[in-house]
Amino acid sequence: MSKPAPFFKTLLACPEAVLFFVLVAELVFFSAVGRNFNTADNFANIVRHSAEIGLLALVMMPIILTGGIDLSVGSLLGLCAVLFGVFTHEWHIATPLAAALTLVVGAAAGGLNGGLITGLRLPPLIVTLGTFSLFRGLAEAITKGTMTYKDFSPEFLALGRARALGLPYQGWLFITVGIAIGVLVHRTTLGRSFRAIGFSPEGARYAGLPVQRRIALTYVLAGFVAALAALVFTARLRQARADAGSGYELQAITAVVLGGTSIFGGIGTVGGTVLGVACVAVLTTGLKLIPAIALQGIGSELGSLLTGALLIFALASGVLAKSLAARRARRQALSEPQPQPIP
Amino acid sequence: MGRYFRELSVAAALVLLLAVLAGIAPAFFELQPLLSRLTAQTPALVVAVGMALVIICRQIDISVGSQFGVCAVVAGLLAAAGLPLPVVLLASVAAGAAMGALNGWLVAGLGLPSIVVTLATMVTWQEALRLFQQGKFINLPAGLQWFGLAQQRGQLTLIAAAVALLAVAAWVLKNLAAGRHVYAVGTDAEAARLAGINPRGTTLGVFILLGALVGLAAVMNIVQSPQVDPKAGGGLELKTIAAAVVGGVAVNGGRGNLWGVFVGLLLLATINPALTYLHVEAYWEKAIQGLVILLAVVADGIRSRRGVTK
Repeated sequence: MSKPAPFFKTLLACPEAVLFFVLVAELVFFSAVGRNFNTADNFANIVRHSAEIGLLALVMMPIILTGGIDLSVGSLLGLCAVLFGVFTHEWHIATPLAAALTLVVGAAAGGLNGGLITGLRLPPLIVTLGTFSLFRGLAEAITKGTMTYKDFSPEFLALGRARALGLPYQGWLFITVGIAIGVLVHRTTLGRSFRAIGFSPEGARYAGLPVQRRIALTYVLAGFVAALAALVFTARLRQARADAGSGYELQAITAVVLGGTSIFGGIGTVGGTVLGVACVAVLTTGLKLIPAIALQGIGSELGSLLTGALLIFALASGVLAKSLAARRARRQALSEPQPQPIP
Repeated sequence: MGRYFRELSVAAALVLLLAVLAGIAPAFFELQPLLSRLTAQTPALVVAVGMALVIICRQIDISVGSQFGVCAVVAGLLAAAGLPLPVVLLASVAAGAAMGALNGWLVAGLGLPSIVVTLATMVTWQEALRLFQQGKFINLPAGLQWFGLAQQRGQLTLIAAAVALLAVAAWVLKNLAAGRHVYAVGTDAEAARLAGINPRGTTLGVFILLGALVGLAAVMNIVQSPQVDPKAGGGLELKTIAAAVVGGVAVNGGRGNLWGVFVGLLLLATINPALTYLHVEAYWEKAIQGLVILLAVVADGIRSRRGVTK
């Protein structure tokens, strides 16, 4: 093609740009239709309610970039929340130390996933399906299914309530982790190896990368941040329960895939993941503010339903667009004169 | 012996567990409770057969729990409207097959990974059902429970039907071309294609079959009680995948035996009542299930690594 591609076509090829327009459209739509949508309080609310899923999405992204998947992050969030409650309430450990201990447990649990996947070359899907059940089961066993830990220290609860410069604390946390993951994935040799591994594990190995160690690292990172999300979750709800974070793994994966990261690995940006998180967060909270939907109390079901449908649509459209482009390229190659080989 | 070592070791674990139970809690083997427990597992067995085929074909389907809920509500509403059981069964199977076909089309037709596709359809069906039914139970007409038979005869009918289905599926998988194609595609799809097998058609077929079996299982479930619980399918995906993996179906496809799946399901299904009889708190069920799955895959991983180095 000698003609320059039309502006909107190049734009459509970039999932981040499409997502940005979807986000703007969502904002315009809900500002017009939703009640009290366009207020500072509501935006703080959106940030507060989506920070945990956002954190999980940020660490799910490097895993999917290497071609893996982690279904256990939601369960691990529940286990870490319960363990934090045990540390503070039953072992009477000071809150900062208990929080640090929770983060260590999270990283260790991620290490279990990573060790099984890389040490024994087991498929990540089945390993994390097993730990999905194991972590949630341990949380239920510890709390006997019903116990909740309440009455945390007010300094800790501030993590879930207070704001600095108008943005809730967990918003700042999300930004910090987002920048850290962004720098890691896009600006360091360590992080760029994730992309190489996802693009071609064999090629990465021949290039001298310690493939298995790097893959294990992404799962440890996910465990660590899942524990961090557990602390944020506990502070927001002011209680630690065994069912904390159920279904979050799906929403995190949805945000990452919507954000343009290929589920086959090797392609994706952290910026896209952040946009994906924002799109899902605005959609699910915005729906609850539409009077007709709020009246029926079906906001959360409708939000999850649309998220699932959106994920199918994003997956299918990505593949369909690629195969259409390939077909067009083939037709063009047949109709246009072949380029002369360079002598 | 060597060929079926994996299946036999699971059977040995089951026999061991039953022997312990026989020593400590003979009450476990009383006829009527045992029959009721076995009957309660028949829908899971039917779904596990389909799940095993999908895993042997190197795919996975985690949307079966949601499909089960949709099929149960479809069947329940039709039955409550007074339609005869065969029509109800047909509609439920058709609904399941249609949902399976959507999964199969997305996976085989578009080449998307089955885990993400079925994750998305799982949520979509589950939330659509919650929107539609709002968690309400459906009351069934009186003559439907146990097909209008006495309870024990109804239970025996269900058990016999499930085991017969298992036997037929195991025979087909072992002896007919269609069954061998599933193994071939699961082992190496490209090699299978070069050998004249249609890998896409086979993959689509196993997803549709799984959906149809889910529809059948949903009807087998609703005839066991006077009401339909729209949340009845919760956790079914984990249970059936665990049964297949514990029963020796390789998650990398191409290997597995339906009788092994049967034993795997029995082992998993025995753990929970065994916990109660051994006075361990039932809250440990999920953790132990997860541990059993991990143990099974770790055992497979170690075995296959040893096979590679030999």
